[in-house]
Amino acid sequence: MSTVLKADRSVAESPAEIRITDLSMRYRTVSGDSVFALDRVSLAIQPREFVCVVGTSGCGKTTLLRIIAGLVRHTAGRVHLRDREISGPSADVGIVFQGPVLLPWKTVLENVMIPVVVLGLDRDAHRRRAMELLDLVGLSGFEDKYPKELSGGMQQRASIARALVHQPSLLLMDEPFGALDAMTRETMNLELQRIVKDAAITVLFITHSIQEAVFLGDRIVVMTPRPGRIAESMTIDLPRPRELDAMSAPEFGSYVRAVRRLLNARGMTH
Amino acid sequence: MLRLRNERSGLRGTTRDESLPAAADEGDRSERAGAASRWLRSNKVQIFLFTIGILLVWQFVNEALRVPSYLLPTPSAIARALYSGVVDGLFIKSAFITLLEAITGFLIAACAGIVLGTAIAQFAIVERLVYPYIVGLQSLPKVAIAPLVIVWFGYGFSSKIVVSATIAFFPVLVNVIVGLKSADADQLDLMRSLNASRWQKLRLVQFPAALPFIFAGLDVAAIFSVLGAIVAEFVGSQAGLGNLLLTFNSNLDISSVFACLILLGLMGTSLHFAIQLLRRRMVFWSREDEVRKL
Repeated sequence: MSTVLKADRSVAESPAEIRITDLSMRYRTVSGDSVFALDRVSLAIQPREFVCVVGTSGCGKTTLLRIIAGLVRHTAGRVHLRDREISGPSADVGIVFQGPVLLPWKTVLENVMIPVVVLGLDRDAHRRRAMELLDLVGLSGFEDKYPKELSGGMQQRASIARALVHQPSLLLMDEPFGALDAMTRETMNLELQRIVKDAAITVLFITHSIQEAVFLGDRIVVMTPRPGRIAESMTIDLPRPRELDAMSAPEFGSYVRAVRRLLNARGMTH
Repeated sequence: MLRLRNERSGLRGTTRDESLPAAADEGDRSERAGAASRWLRSNKVQIFLFTIGILLVWQFVNEALRVPSYLLPTPSAIARALYSGVVDGLFIKSAFITLLEAITGFLIAACAGIVLGTAIAQFAIVERLVYPYIVGLQSLPKVAIAPLVIVWFGYGFSSKIVVSATIAFFPVLVNVIVGLKSADADQLDLMRSLNASRWQKLRLVQFPAALPFIFAGLDVAAIFSVLGAIVAEFVGSQAGLGNLLLTFNSNLDISSVFACLILLGLMGTSLHFAIQLLRRRMVFWSREDEVRKL
């Protein structure tokens, strides 16, 4: 009991959006071995911070996101969302998945309204908000279209609007632009920067693209696999708003090299 | 898949080698549908002409070889029997009775299949307890229960409905279970991330996802319901097309037997198209060929 109280007090002292302490996640494989997807990971994210998690496949970054989202239960350690320890999914979190995950039988607006319907929020008030968000992600005029009438990039924008409609304080993004072509991806990065600024929200963004991480992040968390650990956390001190031209600046290049060095130091090639 | 196709068609639009057969194979969905409907139209014409040809050959060979009409009547004799049966009202009355039996049986089967299938897919305990019986009954030839049902429910309307519903029930049930379990894992994760209740998950994700499967099951069930009604009429009845068919058969009025068969064929086809019409309205987001029929 005393340790619980102590931990709670320490959280109250620093108003972090997420505080992860010694988080471990162990899977038991079919052959009976146990594998650490995450091994004693600790991380704190401040309100309105944009944190990118980079790492190769299998470094546990998606597992980390799913634990914070409350979709899987960790085996050891603690995760606090503001002042509450998470024990399941929370309405304070919005998620953007790898794919758009839109319901094909609902219109774009109905899809964006899904969290409102499921959480039982006031529909009329939130329909206005949904329309504003669709405008924000550049989809005004498409609210009555069905997902299959939209391109992949537009579908992913709709899913960003959906993740924001219930006004979560934390946005979790799991390689949201991985399936898009390079050009669309750059456009989406620019727009995400603008959307996040307008929404005034904390973001945990998972990617395997170093450039994307440096472009978007206030901070980059580099993860290495087997077992999944945080190798380093690096603050990206580039002015905002960042334009695509910033990617050819020498500072940008040196951040990219630094992250790549960290990834390669563990014998991993990107 | 859809995006892939669009990209392909975009590529093709810029390279402009539409004359190449390989490129034509990769047309986008609407283009392909347009081409398919053109092809279908000409195909319909071909089938029609082919059918006329067969009937003419049948008529000619039958007359030339003097095949007795109690073995195989000529198409013209069948047409006459059909016409006179329809005109004096007997066929219409009988067909109406059989259709009513089949549709009632079908509706009961559809409702029962959807309700029980949903219960099995949603509650592990129901699945554990009920599924063995379902598998057992599934492997039983349902037609074999028809005599028993006649004993229990009599020669009237109700026994026909029971047999019809029993036979039509299984394709619906199996498709409902498979359909509900086919719901996309990511969509369910989205629901879970919002703490959706079981009912919300079912209503918003699982049931719509199951609809293409359910319609595939209903399509089979519609045909099976007519089969069930006819079988029950064979075993014991006072009216209906199955009853009429047996009477004609024992009188060796084979022309009228064929006429009944034509009516039954029309009945099955109409039910099939009615289901397809409903399907296109309700499952507008998915195409039929995306669901494997079970």
